[in-house]
Amino acid sequence: MTDYVIRRLLLFVPMAIGIVIVTFCLLLLIPGDPAAVLLGQDATPEGIATLREALGLNDPWYIRLGSYFANLLRGDMGYSIFQSAPVSDIILGRLGATIELAVVALLISIVFGVTLGVLAANRQGGIVDAIAMLIAQIGISMPVYWLALLLMLGFAVHLGWLPAIGREEPLISALGMALTGNVQPLLDSLAHIALPAISLALNSAAIISRLVRTSMLEVLREDFVRTAKAKGVRRGTVIWRHALRNALLPVVSVIGLRFGALLGGAILTETIFAWPGLGQLTISAISQRDLPLIQGIVLTFALIYASVTLLVDLLYAAVDPRIRLR
Amino acid sequence: MKKKLMTGVAIAALTALTATATTAQESLVIGADVDVGTLDPRLARDTTAYRVANLISAGLVHMTPSLEAVPDLAESWESPSPTTVVFTLRDGLTFSDGSPLTAEDVAYTFETITDPDFNSPARGLFTPIESIDVVDDLTVRFNLSTPYAPLLSYLDIGIVPSDYAENGGDMALEPIGAGPMVLQSWTRGSEIVLAASDSYWAGAPEVGELTLQVVGDNSARAQAFEAGDLDVIQSPLSPNDIQRYAADESVGSEIMAGLGVTYLNFNTADPLLADPQMRQALAMLVDQDTIVNQIYQGVDQVASSVILPSSWAFDAEVRQPTFDMAGAVAMLAELGWTDSDGDGLLDRDGETLSIELSTHSEDPNRVQSVEYLQAVFQSAGIDTNVRITDWPSFSTGYVQQSEHQIALLGWLRITDPDRMLFSQLTTGGGLNWGGYSNARVDELLLTGRTALDQDARAAAYREAAQIIAEELPYYIISYQGYQLFYDPETVSVVETSPRGGFRGLIGMGASE
Repeated sequence: MTDYVIRRLLLFVPMAIGIVIVTFCLLLLIPGDPAAVLLGQDATPEGIATLREALGLNDPWYIRLGSYFANLLRGDMGYSIFQSAPVSDIILGRLGATIELAVVALLISIVFGVTLGVLAANRQGGIVDAIAMLIAQIGISMPVYWLALLLMLGFAVHLGWLPAIGREEPLISALGMALTGNVQPLLDSLAHIALPAISLALNSAAIISRLVRTSMLEVLREDFVRTAKAKGVRRGTVIWRHALRNALLPVVSVIGLRFGALLGGAILTETIFAWPGLGQLTISAISQRDLPLIQGIVLTFALIYASVTLLVDLLYAAVDPRIRLR
Repeated sequence: MKKKLMTGVAIAALTALTATATTAQESLVIGADVDVGTLDPRLARDTTAYRVANLISAGLVHMTPSLEAVPDLAESWESPSPTTVVFTLRDGLTFSDGSPLTAEDVAYTFETITDPDFNSPARGLFTPIESIDVVDDLTVRFNLSTPYAPLLSYLDIGIVPSDYAENGGDMALEPIGAGPMVLQSWTRGSEIVLAASDSYWAGAPEVGELTLQVVGDNSARAQAFEAGDLDVIQSPLSPNDIQRYAADESVGSEIMAGLGVTYLNFNTADPLLADPQMRQALAMLVDQDTIVNQIYQGVDQVASSVILPSSWAFDAEVRQPTFDMAGAVAMLAELGWTDSDGDGLLDRDGETLSIELSTHSEDPNRVQSVEYLQAVFQSAGIDTNVRITDWPSFSTGYVQQSEHQIALLGWLRITDPDRMLFSQLTTGGGLNWGGYSNARVDELLLTGRTALDQDARAAAYREAAQIIAEELPYYIISYQGYQLFYDPETVSVVETSPRGGFRGLIGMGASE
């Protein structure tokens, strides 16, 4: 088991190298000069030339790639061209917000998706099934961007129940305060995260619900379910205890993949709800051609994603004892 | 919930007013479209950075809403010769950390800006500065290589404390200035909080705390304003929202002509577009009215020349060609472009007339404008392609490399006509991406830059604008509008400037 984890972690090294090279090549290919973007509309051509030299943009690509790797080995992700701060500081300052948003969205989509899927499978072809699958269909086909604006319009502008934008205290520390008796920060934080998390979660919830439904329907036809029913086990127990555990297996691996999708979806959601996370940072870094920052963000996303897939594989073994990790 | 909170703040502000009467308003939350990159006024490059730096620091002059330079840190100035300007500072100025502000700091600020290795985006505006002499603590002399009339209108750039900046102080993240507000906190990508300074020479501002909330998406920013999360929003906004708020009586609105233009950049070095008559014919296909009033829903204004209507150099007599499909087709025929093979497209010597229009993808209205132009061009018999890419690819990788034929883009912050004409349209100018060259225009733009008498400058610009309206290296589609909306229940002082600065929102916008 420990061996397996270590091997998986080591595997991340060649993956990271590959990611850095691919991102680097993509950045070489897209047109656009960070020096010219940086100096803006009053720039002089010689000013741009001086800055290109200072930023090392005139060096051949292999030198730039080589020095990037050399610095990376020393734990240095470079210096952001636009924000006058080390890339690692900038990313660390934003990481918490994105992970918080993605985790809350993931929880919402699991709870919502599994419940909806089980209810639908329970009465296949019934009215509950039809309504559940209609909701899922809407969730899959509605663009996050549009949904987010719609939710904001409804709950923040018209009803005024929730704030439209921004983030308060991080949830973790708000939880800590709640434990010491100060509940207000937690309520504020939850109110702020509600709309972005729901709009981010809906798509994943819809996908998970459809998967749970199909998987449940299959399991419900199996012999052991019939046996359980024949023994007189209550229907609820059969569904939630016997069938669901077996039906969840394919769902677990999809949940891992969804986390990646949630990180990607966060790019749009964060921009709309002014959520100060990595997604928002990605957009501005790309539109400014802030090369070191883009590299750093992509690498961070890859690292998160790799850790999550590892976690999912470990979970897999826990859910299904037949799977042994070697 | 938040709405109630805001009312609470308003009541608190009112109580504060009756109790102390020092500040009219406790706090103000303004929506911004982009986060600040750096708060160093010398390196500011995004609109939010200019505006925030203009609160934290103060310049030698302050630009009023009518773009007049009035004394700020400088008490007065004079020009003993056309190439020298001498500024006298106010006595007893201090930075917000208590250290004195002297002529040394002024000299340091501009020496760093003009240092090529410092890479200031503003360096291009100050290239005529040759050297700066510190005469005494309160007197500083600018020596110019050539007379430079626009100089004064750029001198609102913030003065930096030389001791602090030289000795490891981080002007980018923890700036210190002599302006009306000080930096309280900055959460990257989210918000910047400023507090009233007690060291500004003109006294305390009328707002105790000012928060800038960054909301990148235009529609989301508008909704956050409606939800009461923001007290003030301003351009850029979507035309739909602008129309709605302008008609809404419960929303305070300030709508005025801005300092930007949207224009077509013709690449005059392209063989197809080298003939001014060809450019005239194509310009007659630009249906300004539809673009401005339908696509932009009237938030901008139909343009007639390269000079802004609010400028002292504007002349209504100067007129670019206007939309005239039949005239354009006739002129193209005169140039030899006719549909000789009956395929619906114009051709000459067996070659089809084919043109590429381009713009960037970030602004949906510009994309729509270019697509509309494509349809009009096409119906006139021109085989028209459209090239739309993101801003860095389009601007730095395409137009600035002179690879375009006709590009739709804009100029902003045109505080002086020189700023969008001199480097742009003189022969070999650094921003002359279309390769335009006309000896008379060169001469006139140089006069506009160097003549110190405003009437002489205006005359030069009028004649240059006339030639440009005929030869069309630029075709100005619209003068951009500037809009600001506020919640009248929470915002007490509003004096807007077309530059979009915040001084007018803290009671320090007017001439002092």
